[in-house]
Amino acid sequence: MSPEGLTHCVFLKAIKGAGGDLPAVIDRYPSAREIDHYTLHECDLSSVRAILLPAHLDQRYFGEIAGVIADFIQRGGRIVFNGHVAWPMLPELQKFVPLPSNSLQNLMVTRLSSHMVFEGVTDADLTFRRGVAGFYARGHNPPPPGALLINGVGPERLPCDWVLTKPSGGEILCHAGNDLWMYIDDQTTAGRIVPQLIAWAGRP
Amino acid sequence: MSRILAAVDAGTYYHHESLYGARFAGAFDAVIYAPHLPNADLSSIDILLITCRTDPAVLAPAAQNLQRFVAGGGTLVAMGSTGPHSWLPGVSWTDTPTNFWWWKEGGELGLIAASPHDRFFEYVPLNNAIWHHHGAFAPPPGAVSLIEARGLGSVLYLDQVSLAPGTLLITALDPFYHHGSHFMPATTRFISGFLPFLRDDPRFGRCHSPR
Repeated sequence: MSPEGLTHCVFLKAIKGAGGDLPAVIDRYPSAREIDHYTLHECDLSSVRAILLPAHLDQRYFGEIAGVIADFIQRGGRIVFNGHVAWPMLPELQKFVPLPSNSLQNLMVTRLSSHMVFEGVTDADLTFRRGVAGFYARGHNPPPPGALLINGVGPERLPCDWVLTKPSGGEILCHAGNDLWMYIDDQTTAGRIVPQLIAWAGRP
Repeated sequence: MSRILAAVDAGTYYHHESLYGARFAGAFDAVIYAPHLPNADLSSIDILLITCRTDPAVLAPAAQNLQRFVAGGGTLVAMGSTGPHSWLPGVSWTDTPTNFWWWKEGGELGLIAASPHDRFFEYVPLNNAIWHHHGAFAPPPGAVSLIEARGLGSVLYLDQVSLAPGTLLITALDPFYHHGSHFMPATTRFISGFLPFLRDDPRFGRCHSPR
């Protein structure tokens, strides 16, 4: 809970207890909390500003509760989507398109527009982890018309990160890769992502 | 008699790509949505594959149905990061730090063929099983370890004892996650050999088990 007692960011609990668990973002940010995967549709979202979805999302479930999510966005809520779009969910999310090949050239990440979440994060620190390319994005979820394209991958700058602002003020930030919060303890400029993401998602 | 091979779909993008995507479309006779498992009719299935990273919290409510399936002669395959120690009896698991970087640090992962003459390796050469693992198992007495992480335990074993007459195949390897993420070609090669192995090997499937 935040100092004023409100939850601003709700994380959907990803798979736990099966090995390889990541550090919990919610332990570091008082305005964030975690809820069970299948309770999202019955959760009181009235004080919630953002729902952050893990790449391990059950997209079939999320598609079934799309009406609840669309209402949340209509009220000005934000969604952070990680992963590859596979099942029908929100109309703004179109099916993932993989890269034609995983050559180094195809895996290079390029900033297309400045954005609060990626401020100060270099292209190199997104493209490479310990000198190896390919962790960030292996393709893209095609953006809807009107989306701001944030990062592109490969020579065609395929938009692997984009944000759509709806007329209601609601927003969808889409990242076609692993959870952005995997960078929580990153020692490079990519370490800026998590605090900036929480600040962006939880702002009034 | 051909075997009925079914896989569990937890609704993730990587299960979608692995189970319905072009590469392995048609490799499975049936797909069961994970939250439906507690009440699913498994009686016509010979081999049930719990696809990598299906949340143990989703599988635990299905424990009784899954154990009944194996005790009835079925073959249950628990892939990596599905937490079988929390929904199957006799499974002993130890988490270990994951070394994602062994291939870059000039070392090796330390995986060895524990039963090198087993037919498994005719289908899946050891090289196609080497990427990383998140821990290891201590197989129960009577089980056959196929691949071991040196000094840690088994990362793939066959158990025809714990829920006889059925068979458990338990692994710490998670190829469906990585294949479905368009990541690491060795995992695609693993699956390409592993699925025919499940269909061909006389140790699997109800048709070769006492009923």
